[in-house]
Amino acid sequence: MIGALWSNFDYAVSVVLFLIGLYCVIAKNNLIKKFMGLNIMETSVFAFIVAIGVVDRGSAPIMGPGARGPFVNPIPQALILTGIVVAVSTTALALSLIVRVWHQCGTIEADELRELE
Amino acid sequence: MTIEASRLFDVGLMTLLVLCALAVVRTKDLLAAAIIFSAYSLVMCLVWDHRGAPDVAMTEAAVGAGVTTVLFLLAIGKTVRREK
Amino acid sequence: MKKALIIALLAVAAIPLLAAMASMPRFGSPEQPAYTHVASRYLQKGAEEAGADNVVTGVILNYRGFDTNGEVTVIFTACAATAAVLVTSGSRKKEKPGEATVPLSPVVGYVVRLLAPFIALFAFYVVLFGEVSPGGGFQGGTIFAALIIILSVVAGRNVAERVLPARVRPWLQIAGPLSFIAVGTLGAVLTGSYLGFPHARGLLATAMLMGIELGIGIGGATVFASIFWRLGDEP
Repeated sequence: MIGALWSNFDYAVSVVLFLIGLYCVIAKNNLIKKFMGLNIMETSVFAFIVAIGVVDRGSAPIMGPGARGPFVNPIPQALILTGIVVAVSTTALALSLIVRVWHQCGTIEADELRELE
Repeated sequence: MTIEASRLFDVGLMTLLVLCALAVVRTKDLLAAAIIFSAYSLVMCLVWDHRGAPDVAMTEAAVGAGVTTVLFLLAIGKTVRREK
Repeated sequence: MKKALIIALLAVAAIPLLAAMASMPRFGSPEQPAYTHVASRYLQKGAEEAGADNVVTGVILNYRGFDTNGEVTVIFTACAATAAVLVTSGSRKKEKPGEATVPLSPVVGYVVRLLAPFIALFAFYVVLFGEVSPGGGFQGGTIFAALIIILSVVAGRNVAERVLPARVRPWLQIAGPLSFIAVGTLGAVLTGSYLGFPHARGLLATAMLMGIELGIGIGGATVFASIFWRLGDEP
């Protein structure tokens, strides 16, 4: 299993990053910090999907004169481009909600917010 | 087994990624955490460029390291800088 | 105590995940399922069929055009939702024209003013050459938004707002979805299906791709600049 993980090193790192992000989301109280954790989780999933598209000694999938194969898989890259954009959109919306919460409640710590009710 | 230079580069970048992610989680100062998150995005951008995904790398550099960080900084400026 | 419990739980969760990763097809193997089916077709025929040398751009705008159509709508929705959440009282604090919000070193101001036209040129280059080189509408738009953001930090908001005048801003914000709908309808007229592109390598197909790219670029830049300003307006 260790040997397989070594050759699938990219995938293993994605899992580790995902768990670090998940820890940040669960264990941290500050809402902005939670969102940093969520962003780490998102990038780890993106890294995982981009890694699926890689082939040995593949170059970027840009055709034209002088381009020589093998090329890496373009589909995961296209998916991830969309994903990154949606991720930043959700981050923008979440941060504006957090700023709003700060104005209404005067705190952005999750446990203090829970006590306010 | 022999390890090529490109593989070694990968391992270095991945180590940096994990360290940056851990630093984001451990830093109490949100401003510092946001800047480290920006560095994390830039390392991720290098990884993707090395993986033959220049489009994704460019988007991550512009969006992850640029716009997301700016939005985090703004939100921190409007609220508090230190987490409790 | 709580932290230790969470870490223990995550460590337990890590075992099946890592085991699954170990049993994935070898990283970079050309025989893995993701690479052998539709990807090989895109790589062989993509440049001719989609009308773009950069296959990623071809996949985004042509093969998976619906996906991207939804995506640009999501960006616009994020902008609208941010505006709805942050209802400011309308009149923002009066800024003296040209005055920076924070005291800045003159070096920064000078360098930004010097670089601004080049950054704008680079943004347009990234948008317009998205078909043949890495880049595209969204990346270029974000670079342009970064330019606007840095201008409003360094030179004050009044200078930056002149680039995107308030009168036309709502139309620019929705430029992405609008250009998609326009090109999609044009495709429907020409080929009979929404977002259909006339066959390959023609001037018209490239012009249509370029139109979408420009729309996404302008829309993305305006949306991010608007979100930045809106969030900055909050007291």
